[in-house]
Amino acid sequence: MKRRLKLLRPVGAVALLAALALLAAGCGGGGKKSSSGGSNAGSSGKTYPLLRVVWDAPDYMDPALYYTVAAYQLTNYVWTGLMGYKHESGPAGAQLVPYLAASEPTISADGKDYKFTLRKGLKYSDGTAVKASDFRYAIERDFKMDSPGVGFYSDIQGVSGASGFATTKKGHISGIIPDDSAGTIEIKLDNPRGDFLYILALEFSDFVPSGTPASDQSTKPIPATGPYMVQSYTPSRSFTIVRNPHYNNQIPTMPSGNPDKVVGKIITDPVAAYQQVVSGQSDYEFQPVPNDRLPEAQSKYKDQLRIYTNANTYYFALNNAIPPFNNIKARKAVQYALDPNAIISGIYGGLGRPTQNFLPPGYPQYKKINAWSFDLAKAKQLVQQSGTNGQSVDVYGPNEDPSKSTTEYLANQLTKIGYKPKLHLLSHQVYFQTIGNQATKAQAMFTDWYQDYPHPLDWFDVLLNGQRITKTHNNNVGNVKVPAVDKEIDALAKEPQVTPAVNDRWAKVDRDLMVTYATTVPYMNKSSTDFFGPKIDMSCYTFGVVTYWDYGLSCMK
Amino acid sequence: MATESTTDFSLDSAAALAADEGGAIEGKSPWLLAWRRLRRNYVALGFLALFVVIVVMCLLAGPYAHHVAGTGPNDNHLGETFTRDGKQVEVVSKGGFTGGTFKAGGIPVGPQLWHAGGKYVFGADTQGRDVAVRLLYGGLNSLKVGIGSALICTLFALVLALIAGYYGGWVDWVIARFFDLIWAFPVLLLAIALGTALSINGFHHFGISIQSGSLWIPTLVISYVLIPYIGRPLRGQILSLREKEFIEAATAQGAGGVRVMFSELLPNIASSVLVFFALIIANNILTEAGLSFLGAGVQPPNPSWGTLIADGQSRIQTAPWLAIIPGIAIVLTVLALNIFGDGLRDALDPRAKVRIEH
Repeated sequence: MKRRLKLLRPVGAVALLAALALLAAGCGGGGKKSSSGGSNAGSSGKTYPLLRVVWDAPDYMDPALYYTVAAYQLTNYVWTGLMGYKHESGPAGAQLVPYLAASEPTISADGKDYKFTLRKGLKYSDGTAVKASDFRYAIERDFKMDSPGVGFYSDIQGVSGASGFATTKKGHISGIIPDDSAGTIEIKLDNPRGDFLYILALEFSDFVPSGTPASDQSTKPIPATGPYMVQSYTPSRSFTIVRNPHYNNQIPTMPSGNPDKVVGKIITDPVAAYQQVVSGQSDYEFQPVPNDRLPEAQSKYKDQLRIYTNANTYYFALNNAIPPFNNIKARKAVQYALDPNAIISGIYGGLGRPTQNFLPPGYPQYKKINAWSFDLAKAKQLVQQSGTNGQSVDVYGPNEDPSKSTTEYLANQLTKIGYKPKLHLLSHQVYFQTIGNQATKAQAMFTDWYQDYPHPLDWFDVLLNGQRITKTHNNNVGNVKVPAVDKEIDALAKEPQVTPAVNDRWAKVDRDLMVTYATTVPYMNKSSTDFFGPKIDMSCYTFGVVTYWDYGLSCMK
Repeated sequence: MATESTTDFSLDSAAALAADEGGAIEGKSPWLLAWRRLRRNYVALGFLALFVVIVVMCLLAGPYAHHVAGTGPNDNHLGETFTRDGKQVEVVSKGGFTGGTFKAGGIPVGPQLWHAGGKYVFGADTQGRDVAVRLLYGGLNSLKVGIGSALICTLFALVLALIAGYYGGWVDWVIARFFDLIWAFPVLLLAIALGTALSINGFHHFGISIQSGSLWIPTLVISYVLIPYIGRPLRGQILSLREKEFIEAATAQGAGGVRVMFSELLPNIASSVLVFFALIIANNILTEAGLSFLGAGVQPPNPSWGTLIADGQSRIQTAPWLAIIPGIAIVLTVLALNIFGDGLRDALDPRAKVRIEH
């Protein structure tokens, strides 16, 4: 399974969501204020003509390829799959609901067989009918395009192995059985997966018309199934999203959106993006307010600023496979050497919450860990005891702030406890590829993770399961391998239901990996900002734990 | 940088010299004559003194850090406080969530001058590092790169120019085309490309191994890209000189190529070389600052004036000193070197038109 980080800088993603929300607000006049930011499936009566947003650059505008929040937040109202998320603030926003499926699937007792029925009369934005076989085509297209999401589908029958579709890319995936006339889709799995419905809500599972070229269609927008469609997209410059003329409220479980049109400028510089809103040229900026401007935004534009902490964890990965951090005392020393409050306060301007858990708060499996305290003397003592004092450590991090300063902080703390760190700061474009290559032999690394979907498997299985270690494109960059915990992760992956007992087992996995084996050093759940222009009615503000700011539910004063 | 001066730089005539000395006319070496002209140029000497002061201050970075500031250039002090006028002050302001309330933090303390007993004289950066300490260490690194690359660049340019100019023919053609090749690239772009490539993995070829964070990388990159800017004009001078009678005479007396180049030609272009050297240091310090600002020069956590400006740019509104102070240091250093370089050129050869031109 190969997955990429969703987004290194979450702010950008938030802004994109905001823009989408505004777009979705749809046509009509100013409309009425909503009483809450809650569920607003269907027409809300708060439509308005235009939402202007400043957005971060999406990586692609093709559901088979994009894997950044900037793209996801924009297009979750454009392309849809069998399942999707409730458009609500708070934990309710993590709840799955049927989108193109008429109802929840029928799942066999062994958890390996899913049967869906499509809603009646579904159409794409070009007027053509949505077919059951389009789903299979979309998944097969992912494989043909080497989509970053193909790893999610490795448990579908006929995908893996020498004769599997992932290898041959010929014929069809035998485990996906569509019936166009009946409008049904049956999916057979090799192994049960407790997170499979979440996988079906990923962008890589979105429907596209059969025959859509298996190449990047970012600038030739693919017909949409959601309330909006991409009218135009010029990479690095702009995009326009308009209402889908054939939507007809065909997905009653998602809002039909308030803005009629969303016009976005792509500006990657947070200072410039902030200035666009301050100067009245934009109603929303996706980028986080720069630390430098945060005091000003807090005092002058308090009502237009929202601060949120979504599901993410920033952590230092220590290479458990090679010295010095194959020694548990050396790893524990690093835990004591870091002061998360100092990092958050100084480098992130206070925008973050300290953590010692790998799983972020808000998950039902989360049980707060409080095992470490900042104690340099104890850290030095542990380094001495480990016999690793004076060893050199190759420390890797991105070369842009605040990641750069955070990595420099780590290197400096390692110096203080007796190591000789050597700093390697790389461009974002090559950073994760470099540390994910075993040949690099990185020993301590800056990294972070934003959830793909709200399930512990997206954290522990992807990032810390020793059986997922690969030579290249390794997501388990610290080469964490604790066989007993790996076995437990595999067992939990097969649990179809999330019960309190299962949650407790996940919490124990978290504690075992973070405390008992001290494999990794989580230090922060990053907070970010949504910044709006004065025309936006903040009483409509809706923030989904998966979808970020919900532009479809935005409204104007 | 050319400067206008009211000082009289006309050549001293023998009569004037005699009158000046108040005695009989004595032979004076060109170097002595140059020194006489230079010492009358108070502006150039003033800026030379400024440059010397800057160099001495940077050389004292270690003792200053140890005995006055009490911290190293890369030591962060996040979450710490210091005493100012008997009160505890946060090095970097604390922020974060208290209950449901958010307070923005991360603003580093501003310049304390001498109110904190030598700590944070020029304030702190976002990691709580002492800006004054980093400024001095940064200056040391910038000067090392600037002077080191000027030495290497001048040496290579000189040797190549001597060989090309003396031997002529296909040797000259090859070297001249080499100069043209490098000249064809915009200097900064070529330096960025080389600096970026080498700063990732270092240089490990031909039995030479340079680690990625080494100061040798920006030094060698800058040396390389600026070779033609000295080599071409020197080659032109040598091409002209080799046709002179004294070269013919030396050759007739059996002098070999190496001897002619280093005993006859070199002394005749020494003044130009010296002026080029002074001027190119300033140029190289600027290039280093540009490269480091863009992440292709001195690598963090090591400071240089360029990296200090880069670190400060994101805080220009709340902590402007972070970018302004190293900026002033660059301006003063480059100004001092350029004005002194111009003065030196005027002193060594008032008719010369030696310029570093891009």
